[in-house]
Amino acid sequence: MNPNTRRTLEFVLDNLVWFMLLFVLLVFSLFVPNYFQPGIFANIIEASSVLGVMSIGLALVIIAGHMDLSVESVAALSAMAVGIVFCSAGIGMGVQLSPDWLGVPVSLIIALAVGSAIGAFNGLLIVKLKMNAFIVTLASYIWVRGVVLALSGGRSAQDLAPAIRWFGVQRLLGLPLTAWIAILCFVVFSLIMAKSRFGRHLIIIGGNQNAAFRAGIKVDRILITSFVLAGAIAALAGWLLAIRTSGATANLGMGLLFNAFAAVVIGGVSLKGGVGALPGVYAGVLLLSAINTAINLMGLPATSTQVIHGLLVLAAVLLDTLKLSIRQKLA
Amino acid sequence: MTRFEPLLVLDDIKKNYGAIEALKGISFTIGKGEVVALLGDNGAGKSTLVKIIAGGLEPSGGRMLFEGREFLARSPSEAKAAGIETVYQDLSLATNVDVVANFFMGRELTRRVLGMPVLDEKAMEAVVAKALASAGTRIPSLRTKVEHLSGGQRQAIELNRFVHWGGKLVLLDEPFAALGVEQTRRGLEMIRAVANQGIGVVIITHIMQQAFQVADRIVVIRQGVVAGDVATKDTSPDAVVNMITGETLAAAGAAG
Ligand SMILES: Nc1ncnc2c1ncn2[C@@H]1O[C@H](COP(=O)(O)OP(=O)(O)OP(=O)(O)O)[C@@H](O)[C@H]1O
Ligand SMILES: [Mg+2]
Repeated sequence: MNPNTRRTLEFVLDNLVWFMLLFVLLVFSLFVPNYFQPGIFANIIEASSVLGVMSIGLALVIIAGHMDLSVESVAALSAMAVGIVFCSAGIGMGVQLSPDWLGVPVSLIIALAVGSAIGAFNGLLIVKLKMNAFIVTLASYIWVRGVVLALSGGRSAQDLAPAIRWFGVQRLLGLPLTAWIAILCFVVFSLIMAKSRFGRHLIIIGGNQNAAFRAGIKVDRILITSFVLAGAIAALAGWLLAIRTSGATANLGMGLLFNAFAAVVIGGVSLKGGVGALPGVYAGVLLLSAINTAINLMGLPATSTQVIHGLLVLAAVLLDTLKLSIRQKLA
Repeated sequence: MTRFEPLLVLDDIKKNYGAIEALKGISFTIGKGEVVALLGDNGAGKSTLVKIIAGGLEPSGGRMLFEGREFLARSPSEAKAAGIETVYQDLSLATNVDVVANFFMGRELTRRVLGMPVLDEKAMEAVVAKALASAGTRIPSLRTKVEHLSGGQRQAIELNRFVHWGGKLVLLDEPFAALGVEQTRRGLEMIRAVANQGIGVVIITHIMQQAFQVADRIVVIRQGVVAGDVATKDTSPDAVVNMITGETLAAAGAAG
């Protein structure tokens, strides 16, 4: 095969999810009534901000060859912590800071501290005690949600402080600031993965941990950092979630994990580690969101969303296998 | 042995894997600028010894002197920092990234953009291109992922990597196993060139001819002990084979 055809093919394979996204948007625009309007596209982006942010952290650990099932519960706990402190109704304590805007950094710090602490806990168990990542983070998925339930007593916090809510209300170019935060996260972490030594090392570790270790890369430190990052990023997702819902309920964010998973896999991140890039993950998130929007517009029951998402994940994994065999033929 | 200033002294190095005594007390010396061929049958303990020197395995006993000072690398990065480069028997390449990323693994060059360190891909690619060209290694594109390269090309990358980074001591565990005739010849030349810069080289091989071609000294390990340690010019392939198989230990001893 000549190098040019090969390069084109590799380019298509590497960016397959973007082509899928374009295709889906085109099909929906043509066949779903009222789909083609700027408002709908803004909606798709807006609706995907929480999921998008969460997917970044998950993608990082999967690229490093590990797994983090706890991101959903971590987001919920961070949201609940923020809700309890800064909500004025329900179980909220309605803490008032002066000036008002101090609530923003303080609530962020609370959320990020919760997330990083759980991430560090996961990372230490997995890296230092060599426990299985799947089991450790599954346990965290369960116990962290348990803490949310216990903290809230099953009740909810409502009416988040307006200064924090502002991020969900204020719009820039038609999108709320929360959506811009998600986009910014994707840009920043995409750059980190593609351009920094940390990102390069994370990918190498995902590809061949032993080689990375022999090459003198501080494998343990980088892996623990990736878990801390996943926790912190999940917490940021939780903060955005609290803003979106103006509070927190005990079962906040349930099911997000599987959507994040779907987005990551659809986005081209291989579960065996070492393969994938964040722009693709963002496309995966947008793809899911585009499909959800179509389902809503068509008035299909929300239950069918789940079936479609499930099938999408299967399709994504199938695609992953297919891409692998095409690549092997290319080699 | 007297010709070279000692670089690394191994003193009674032992290693147990559970009940298996892989190394039962290995002692010999590697000089600066000296090429030592480490020979021995499968399972003799050669790779184990290399991993201990390279910081990948902890010895169960014994000590090492590196440049006259007590030395023990607790991790490969410590060994690297001390100037010890290693090419492992099972290659250490990340096949999911390209040639340049592998060449610079753990030592990536960066440049500052807005005060932040950013990978300097151009500079790295230029260095790799130069290193591979001067070694006569042809690889279609430096941006190809290593998974698309042949076994020989992969080994060539590893070899060029150590030549480029140099250091003080180089450990090569069967570096030519996947190389063709021409590449092997170049590899042996590279080893000589490296040694002539005053770098100590330990090369493990099963091919007697290679050992005699490149080594100043031959050390034979049999069942975890040193069964022979002789200057290449004072011995013959037949004598070395006997040391390896242990048939006439006395004769081998006499040769040394
Ligand atoms: N990780 C391990 N666990 C248990 N035993 C091991 C391990 N690695 C090596 N051994 C044993 O230690 C002994 C020495 O192995 P080593 O790999 O050092 O041999 P070698 O001389 O390099 O052989 P070869 O020429 O086949 O590469 C062998 O008996 C081997 O079975
Ligand atoms: Mg070996």
